[in-house]
Parts: sequence; C-alpha cells; structure tokens
Amino acid sequence: MTKLLNLFRRRRDRLERDLDRELRYHVERRVEDMIADGLSEPEARRRASLELGGVPQVQEAVRDTWIWRWLDVFVRDVRYALRSLTKSWGFTVGAGAVLALAIGATVAIFSVVNTVLLRPLAYPDADRIASVETLWTNTGRASQAVSGPDFLDWQARNDVFEKMAVYYSGDTGGTDDAPVILGDRATFANPRYVSADFFAVFGQTVSAGRLLTESDGQRGEAAPAAAVARYQWAVTNFGSAEAAIGKKITLNGGPLEIVGVAAPGFRYPGVTDLWAPLTPDGGPNHRSNHDYHAVGKLKAGADLVRAQAQMRTIGDALARQYPQNRVKTVSLIPLQERLTGNLQPTLWALMGAVGVVWLIGCANIANLLLARAAGRTREIALRAALGAGSGRVMRQLLTENCVLAGVAGLAGLLLAWMLIQVVVAWAPADLPRIDEVRMDPTVALFALGLSLVSTVIFGLVPALHASRLDLSDGLKQSGSKATASKASTRLRSAMVVAEVALSVILLAAAGLLLRSFLTLQHVDLGFTTDRVLVAFTEHPLKDRIRFFADVLDRLRAVPGVHAASGVAYLGMGREPRPPRDYFIQGRPEGQPGERPQAEFHDITGDYFKTLDIPVLAGRDFARTDTPESPRVAIINEALARTAFAGESSVGQRIRENPRAPWMEIVGVVGDTRWQDPSQPAPPVVFRASTQGTGNSLSILARTSVDPTSLASTLRTFLYEANPTVPVKFETMEEMFDSTLAYPRFRTQVIGLFAGVAALLAAVGIFSVLAYLVGQRTRELAVRRALGASAANVVGLIMGPGLRLVAGGLVLGLAGALASARLLSGLLYEITPWDVSAYIGTIAVLGSVALLATLVPAIRAATIAPVIVLQQE
Amino acid sequence: MPPSRFPIPQGTLDMLVLQVLSLEAAHGYAIAQRLQQISRATVRINQGSLYPALHRLEQKRWLKAEWRQSETGREAKFYALTRAGHQQLAREKASWDQLTTAVRLIFNEGA
Repeated sequence: MTKLLNLFRRRRDRLERDLDRELRYHVERRVEDMIADGLSEPEARRRASLELGGVPQVQEAVRDTWIWRWLDVFVRDVRYALRSLTKSWGFTVGAGAVLALAIGATVAIFSVVNTVLLRPLAYPDADRIASVETLWTNTGRASQAVSGPDFLDWQARNDVFEKMAVYYSGDTGGTDDAPVILGDRATFANPRYVSADFFAVFGQTVSAGRLLTESDGQRGEAAPAAAVARYQWAVTNFGSAEAAIGKKITLNGGPLEIVGVAAPGFRYPGVTDLWAPLTPDGGPNHRSNHDYHAVGKLKAGADLVRAQAQMRTIGDALARQYPQNRVKTVSLIPLQERLTGNLQPTLWALMGAVGVVWLIGCANIANLLLARAAGRTREIALRAALGAGSGRVMRQLLTENCVLAGVAGLAGLLLAWMLIQVVVAWAPADLPRIDEVRMDPTVALFALGLSLVSTVIFGLVPALHASRLDLSDGLKQSGSKATASKASTRLRSAMVVAEVALSVILLAAAGLLLRSFLTLQHVDLGFTTDRVLVAFTEHPLKDRIRFFADVLDRLRAVPGVHAASGVAYLGMGREPRPPRDYFIQGRPEGQPGERPQAEFHDITGDYFKTLDIPVLAGRDFARTDTPESPRVAIINEALARTAFAGESSVGQRIRENPRAPWMEIVGVVGDTRWQDPSQPAPPVVFRASTQGTGNSLSILARTSVDPTSLASTLRTFLYEANPTVPVKFETMEEMFDSTLAYPRFRTQVIGLFAGVAALLAAVGIFSVLAYLVGQRTRELAVRRALGASAANVVGLIMGPGLRLVAGGLVLGLAGALASARLLSGLLYEITPWDVSAYIGTIAVLGSVALLATLVPAIRAATIAPVIVLQQE
Repeated sequence: MPPSRFPIPQGTLDMLVLQVLSLEAAHGYAIAQRLQQISRATVRINQGSLYPALHRLEQKRWLKAEWRQSETGREAKFYALTRAGHQQLAREKASWDQLTTAVRLIFNEGA
C-alpha cells in the first residue's frame, strides 16, 4: 500500500518539477527579449510576470487540468464498472448478496460480543474493580458468597485495595422483588443492602442528595434508615431526582428515607432500585454464614497478580486461625470476568459460528470472482490489444471491484443493523448490557475494509493474468468464452470443498445444540408447569400466617381452581438458595465445611398437589401443623437417598443448625428441578410455613381454565385482606420458558448461521457448475447432436458437482467430530457424537447440494443443439 | 495597446495551438510568440491561459511533449502534434469552416 502511495507521490513530484522548469524557461526568454528591446531587468521581469497573469496562478490553472483529467477517468471507470456489473447481474447480485451476508453477520455478532464481553464496564477505572470471593480449597471452587467476619479480616489486613465493600444478597436482595410502600401505593422494587464504601468502589457520585455514610448503617430501629435510589426509578416514581430526596418509604416493612439519587445509568448489581445501608456483621458466630458478596477497587498501580497473592496469604492465615475457615481462602476475579464469565461459552460459540460464515463468504466471493475472471479473459485481451496499458486495465478492474465491495458493504451494514435487532430481541433478558448493544463503528469499518481487500485481491487476478497474457492467444480462443486454465478450475473446486466442509461443521454444531435444546425442553422436571398461576406477594411477619391462610381458603373455593398453596422460594432461574448444613438426630455432627448440605424451603399444605409432585411416603403438611404443634418437615427423594439410604426416613428428626428445634420428617416427595432444568435435583428439606418459619410467600394456583383469568379475582382477595400488599402475576409456563433462555438463544442464532452457511455453500456449488455448463455448452450440444440422452448430460454435470460435495462432506464431518468437543459444555444429556445430529446435518446439506447441482444440470440437459451450433 | 484587439473566443485557443504546432514542434514561449505574430496583434491572447491549454491537450493525447535543447542551448519542453492531434485539427478546421460559412450566409441573407 505504501509502495503504491509512494509511486503516486513520485509521479506528482515529477509533474510539478517539469511544470516549474517549463514556466521558468518562458519567463527567462521573455525577460531576455525585453532586455534586448532596451528595458531594465527588474522592469522586464515585472512585465513578463504580468503578461502571464502571475506564475503561481498559471501553475494552479495547470494543476486543475490534471485533477479534471483524473476525475474524468474516474467517472468513466465507475460508469464502465456499473455497466459491466449490471450486464452480468447474476454475478453482481450473487457476489453482492454473499458479501453483504458475510459482513452483516460478522458485524452484528461482533457488536454483541464486543458490548457484552470486551468493552470495559462503564465505571471509572473499571479494570481495577474486582470481585472478592471465597475459594473453597476442598472443591477448588470460588464462590461469590463471603462471610462478614472473613470480609472484615480481609479488609483490615490488606494494603492492595483502595476501597472494599460488601452487599447483602439475601432472600429479598436477589432478582426477587421486594415490596415497597410509597405513600399510599404498594409496589415492587429491587433493593440491595450495601456497606458504606460501596459507591466509592464504583467511583460513583450522586445526581441529587448524598451517598450513604458509615453512620447510616448504625442507626437504630426507630429512626428511618437512609437509602439511595436509582436515577430512573426516582424519576419514574417521583418525577425528578430532586423530588425524591426526603421521601419516606417502607421497604420490607421497615421505614426508609431517600437521602440521595445515584448518577443516571448506575444500577449495580443487576438492576438495583434502592441501595440501603448495611454494616457487615462481624460476630464470631457468623464465620460460616456466607451472606454477602464483596467487591473492591485495587489501588492505582497494584496489579491483580500481586493483590491475588497477598489476599491468598491473608486467607491462608485465617484458615489456620479459625476452625470454620479450615477449607477456605480468598480469590480475586476481575468484576467484568465475574459478570460475563458464564456467558463466555455462549458468546464465543457465536463468534466461532460467525467466523465460519465469514470464511465461507470469502471463499464464495473468491470463487465467483475467479469464475468471472475466466469468462473475461477475452474482453481484457481485447482492451489490451486496443492499446490500454496494463495499469489502465488494472485501474479499471480495481474500480469495478471497489464499486461492488462498496455497494455490498453498505447493504451488509444495513443487514447488520437488522440482525442486531433480531439478536437483541432473541437474547435472554438478563444478558448483561444487552440493551447497550449498538453497531460498532470500528467493527463496521474493519468488515468493510476486509471485504474491500478480499474483493480487490481476487478481482485483480484477471488483470495480473492479462499482463502475462499473450494477446493473440486470448483473442484467438474461439467463441465468446475462453476456457479456464486447469489451475484455476482446481482452485475453485478446492474452495467449494472447503465451503461445504465448513458449513457441515456449522450445521453439525447447530444440530447438536438443537437436539440438546429439545431434550432440555422435554426433561422431566418432576412437577407440572401447566396452568399454574404464580402471584408474587410480600406480607410483613405480623399476621402473615393468618393472611395467607385466609387468602388461600378463599382461592380454593373459586370454581375452576384445582389446588392452591404458598411457597417462599420459587427457583425457576432465580438466584439459587444457598444450601445449608443439616443435622440428623442421633448422628455425629461432623466438621464444619464437611457436613452434608440441603436446601431449605418453606411451603404450605397442598403445595405438592398444586404442582403435581408425588408424595412417596408419609403425608403432606396439614392445618394441624401450627406454631404450637411439634415441628415437622418433608424431605425430597434426593435427600432420602443420600441421608437415609436403605432405611425409612419418615419418623426421623432433622434440623438446620445445632440450636434449632428438631423437626420430625413426616413425608417424602418426588424430586424436582426448580432452579435449572439441566441440573439434577439437590437434596431439599421442606418446612411448614404455617409453623412460622421462613419468609413471606408467593401464591400458586392450579386451574382447570386459563390461569391468567384468575389473576383479577386473586388481586381482589389480596387487596381485601390487606390493601398494602403488592402483587404481580406470572404463569409457571412463562417462568419455565425463561430458564431456557440461554439454550434457546444459542440454538436460534447458531441455527440461523448454519442456515446461512448452507445457503452460501449452495451458491458456491451452483456458481461453479453453472459456469461449467456455460463453458461446455458447445461440447454438450455436440454430444446431444451425436445422440447423448438428456440423462447422460445431467450425469455429466452432476457427477463432478456431487464429487465435490462428497469430498466436502467427508472433510466437514471429520472437522465437526474433532471440534464438537468444544461444544460439550453447552450440551445437555447428549454427547458431542450424537448420531442423529450428524444424520440431520448430512440430510440438510445433501439435499441443498443436490438442488444446487440439479438446477445447472437440468439447464445443461435442455440445451437445444441446433441453436447452439448455429451460433458458432 | 490598440483597443481594436478583441479577446479570443472561448475554445478557439486549443485549435490555434494545434494549428501552430501542425507546422513544427515548439516550446511554450515559441508558441506564444508565434500566436502573437500570426494574429497580427488583432487577437488578445492571455499568455497565462496558454499553459493550461497545452497540458489539457497533452492529457487528451493530441500533443506529445519532450525535453529538448532549444535554440538558446537551454533545455525546453517541446510540444508536437500526435496523429490523434492531426485528426482533431482537421475536424476542428472543418467544423470552423462550416460555422463561418453558415454565419456568412445568414449575414448575406439579411443584407
């Protein structure tokens, strides 16, 4: 490129020098003549310059003629390019569409990946913010959950962090909404309890009021605690940030006063509406309660490796100091990695897919251009024979390809823009920053540039060829078409094989993901999602038991309601409940960190009936299970199997900590996959919420009619029982659907790309064969005239085509098998060697390829020998 | 400067340059002198517009140029007509004749 620029620069310099010399000569001669006529030299010089109208002005006027000349040639080249492109519109549309598809897909997916994975988080010095986590040395796994005393020790002993903070993500702090009363309105908000330095870690300032301070967290129960509101939330609920300041609200039944509104756009973690103060609990008994998530901002210049080493030392020292810390230490993970870590497999899979589409697209363009080049040998030889210099021919071909690439590039960007809308619409709603995805200008430029380069390189092949061409040879070739050289035919065949192979890999990947998705969709969850209405509510502790008992009784009396019950935690893609240690009466307690664990859930009677979960032994909770009666529990099959293998579990007694009352196991129920359908059921202990345990409940109702038709009735019951209780509805079906959001997203996008790849491969096969038919028209006509049947001709064309397809299939299957292991993390219950996925791949590609070979073959068979031979 | 001299009509400078050069190759200054003489000082030629015209004609491949020793012994850029240039001159002469004949006819008609 620089070489070419230098060439231009040298040429321009020479022109300038010549012009300068020419004009100087003129002036000198004129001056000499006038001196000879008796003028003084200065006067002669003045007049000579005057006659010319000024030397610089003349130079400028001459330069103008150069530019006009250049523009003139350029316009003519563009016009010629357009004419030649429209003349072979089949090629133009084909190549343009392929380029546009390749650019569109690449730009769209890279824009998504760039926004979600690569672009730094939108906080000041975001690269210095780390998630500070508990590293369990027995399992080697890091967990975001940290305990208060651990955090305070980490904070006190390190010198690598500028600021550290914890936030509580307990039962009401996850993606679950908490009830908020704003004056006379009850609504939901997403609150987080955060320690004082939380905003400092993210470098945040307020847009109104003030941020939280250390003293906010230490105010007593009586005085309303302070809270900072999200900017958009404040504007929605109070009209403006300023108007929100000083407002008193009730959160989870406790009073709060809004003292500040965060800067617009800040909402970490997740989409937080309210940040309320928290003082981490450092009590010595809490070392095993991992209730917090911790973040920290490293000091400027402190690198992560050194910080990691120091924190590890601190964590190891704590492990020696406290028995509860025996199997844990500290780990640092950059916050960006923590937020996007589990998305990486999905997004890199998409990048891989789009990369393959891009490669196929390039191979296709090269193929089309080579085919065209072969067809134009004669035209170019003719132009050269008429006196066009090889530079001139080159320049004209260059213009032609730039016009093609430019138009296709613009179409590609338009397509990218549309694809981004599609991908964003398909994307799971909780994909971080998906709402920020825009077409990335850098990527757009890069893709355009790449398309230009690839088009130009392959487009220039005929020009290079022409410069080596023996002119008379090119002209002598009979008929309107010159035959392609053996080498270029071989190159084009190789490209078709590569295209087919690459699309087989992509189709196989799509097939595997689709199979996995279908398996996942039909997995036995252990409960029914059919016609179940879910009402999210939140009632304060006082009178809670009676409130829910009354509402549930009224609901059960409604015609069409099959069963109704309450549950404190619904799973279904919401933040998982951390499992807790359990103890069984008459067994040793075991060491902390090594005790068996189970999830504890609080439900009302009829819960199993509502969700159609089988009661395998014993009984369901009943009205007789009250706060005064002996504590009871029901366990699931997984727990019965792990804790009571072989013996009867009903009648045994269990509890969740050494100080809690024993609960008698009264029943065993079937396993359910609440959290994630791809994960087997964890051991679960159900407690009776009617005995006063656990949090507020959500209400479930299974109906014989459309469950949403029940919503307004239920809303009335709730309002009549307590007008300050907020409620919102969803169906179990919808909730289950959202748990499959990621697998569905992967399958859809990769499926789309596999389709595009197959299409491109078909275009490749078609173009090669169509060209072949064009080349051999005369030969085929002679064959027909000499008695070859139409079937013979079809075979003659399809034979080579199908050989290429077969070669590509074999290579592609080998490649797919080799690369399928990369997908195994994304597959559920099927192996990367799932036979039906590969059979599907072969079937899809085979039929597409058959069609792509059949069309040109039929065209060849319908050649009318008489007409063709008369033309020659 | 006699007031009778009129500015050269648009587009005719190219034709005149071709005409001058059809006799023999010359450099810019010589062409300027020659034009001055031939037109017997009745046509006012802006010498500044001569050079853009020469370059324009060269780009149209009607003229070719080379650096050669001039009568003073210095190097000068000499212009000469190409074959295309000769053809162009012939075309322009023909159309000029047609035009002047037509104009004269119209004038005579009116008289």
